[in-house]
Amino acid sequence: MIGLELFSLQWFEIFCGGFCVLAIFSFLAKENPFYRIFEHLFIGISAAILIMEPIRTFLWPQALKPLLGMDRIPFPDGTYPEPYAMSYLLFLVPMGFGLLYYFILSPRHSWLAQLVIGFSLGVGAGLSFKGIIVEMTPQLTDSFRPLYVVGSFGESLNNIFFIFVLLTVFSYFFFSFKRSPNGLMVKSSWIGRTMMMGCFGAFFGATIMARMALLVERLQFMIAQWWPALSQLWR
Amino acid sequence: MKLSWLLNIDRRIIYLLVIVALGIPLFIDYSLAPAPMKTANSFYKAIEKIAPRGKIVLVAADWGPGTQAENEPQTAVAIEHLLRRRIPFALISNIPFAKPYLEQLPETVADRLEAETGEQWDYGQDWVNLGYRPGGSIMIQGMAKAKDLHEVLKTDAEGTAISELPLMHNVRTIEDVAMLVEVTGSVGVFNSWIQFFRNDKYVPAMVHGCTAITIPEAYIYYVSKQIVGLFEGVAGAAWYEELLSENYPKREKGSALQMMTALSFAHLLIIALIVLGNIGNLAAFMKNRRKQP
Repeated sequence: MIGLELFSLQWFEIFCGGFCVLAIFSFLAKENPFYRIFEHLFIGISAAILIMEPIRTFLWPQALKPLLGMDRIPFPDGTYPEPYAMSYLLFLVPMGFGLLYYFILSPRHSWLAQLVIGFSLGVGAGLSFKGIIVEMTPQLTDSFRPLYVVGSFGESLNNIFFIFVLLTVFSYFFFSFKRSPNGLMVKSSWIGRTMMMGCFGAFFGATIMARMALLVERLQFMIAQWWPALSQLWR
Repeated sequence: MKLSWLLNIDRRIIYLLVIVALGIPLFIDYSLAPAPMKTANSFYKAIEKIAPRGKIVLVAADWGPGTQAENEPQTAVAIEHLLRRRIPFALISNIPFAKPYLEQLPETVADRLEAETGEQWDYGQDWVNLGYRPGGSIMIQGMAKAKDLHEVLKTDAEGTAISELPLMHNVRTIEDVAMLVEVTGSVGVFNSWIQFFRNDKYVPAMVHGCTAITIPEAYIYYVSKQIVGLFEGVAGAAWYEELLSENYPKREKGSALQMMTALSFAHLLIIALIVLGNIGNLAAFMKNRRKQP
C-alpha cells in the first residue's frame, strides 16, 4: 500500500487484520490452538458489539438520556431552557416490563418472565401475519400465468414449464389421500421431488460461489493491502 | 492405468489449488468481460428513472464483515451510480456490524469520483448516514408509518439533528423516499423491508442486492415484481461496473470485475475436480465389476 506510514494506526490495523486471516485460515491445514485463540477472540468481539451497539446508539441517547434529563443543555448559570418533560417517565413502564424477563432465572417467579415472552410472541405473530400476507400475495397472484402468450413462444414455454413444476411440487406435499402404486400422484410427486433436487443443486452451487467470494475478498486484502504493508518492514 | 488416487486426493491439496486459482488473476491483475445480467440491467434502469436532486433514495446496507465480500461491491456500485446522478441518498442499517462501512463507503466512493471528475460531493448535501437502527421490523414499520420522519429518526449517526441536514429538510414521510436499495446476505432482513416498508397509500420502488446463496430465493421477488432490480451476488456488481464504465468512460476499473474473474477461474477448477472425481469413481466401479465372478 503506497503512502502508508510504517507503524501508523492504519498500518497496525492492516497488519493485525492479515495476521487474523492467517490464524483463521490455519484451520485448513489442521485444527490448532492458534486458530482456537482467534476464533474465541472473534466470538468475543462479535458478542460485545451486539450488546454495546444497541445500548450506544439507541438505549442511551434515545431512552436513558432523556429519562434522566441529561439531553438538556444548561445555561451557564445552571438553569435549563425548558423544564424536565414528565412524559419521559412513561419510558419506565416498557422498561420495567421488559426487565421482568430476567425473572426467568428465578424458579419461583419465572411466571413473570412468561408475561414478557407471551407479549413478544403476540407482537411477533401479529407482525408476521400481516407481513406474510403483504409478501406472499404478489407471489401467489404471479403464479397464475397464461399458458399461451400471444407473439412470444419463449414466454409461453417458460410459463408452461413454471406451471408444470408448480403442480408437480405441490403434488409431492399432498398427503390427504392414499396414493395407488404407479398412480398419477406417485409419478407426479416423483417429478416434483426431482425438480426440487434441481433447485437444491442450484442452492448448493450458489453456496459454493458465495464461499469462494469470501475467500477471494480476503485474498484481495492480503495481496493488495497486507503484503505491501508487511513488506515495509524490510524496505 | 490406476486411477484410484483420484478418490484420495488430500483435501489440503484441493484448498491450495483453489487458493492458487483464485490468486492468479489477482496477482497478474487480469479481468475477463463479465456476463450480462438482466436483473442488474433492471437495477440500472430503475436508478436512471429517478430525478436528480428530487426525492431521496434509502440505502439499507444490512450487512457486516460476514458478507462483505459480495455486499460491499454491490453497495459501492449502487452508491457510485447515485452520486454520479446527483440523487440524494440516506444510508441506514439493521445490523450493528455495518456501522464502519456506512461511514467509510460513501466517502471512499465520493473521493474516487472527485479525483476522476473534479466535481465535489458533500456529506449532508449529497448523502447522510442514519447509522445502525435497532428494532428490526418494528423500526422499519415505525419509519414507514411516521407522520414526521424527523421525529422518528431524530439524529444521524454522528448525533447531528436530522433537521440540520440540508438533504433531509424536505424528507418528512415515506412518500419522500423514491426508492429503497436493500443490500443484505440475510433473507429475513430483506423480508422485513418488503413486508413493512410501505403504508396504505405508498410503496417505494425496491431493488435488492443479495449474496449468491440467497439468489434462488431473491429471484422470486424479482419475478413477482416486488423488486424492480437485483444484484445476483458479486456477478451482479461486476456487470453493473461494466454498465457504469460504458456510460462513464473515464471510470477506473473496480474490484468486483477482478473478483468475478478470480471466481470464474475457481469455478473452472471445481468443475475439473468434479470431473476427475467422477472418473476416479467410474474407474473404481469398473475395477470392482471385473473382480466379481
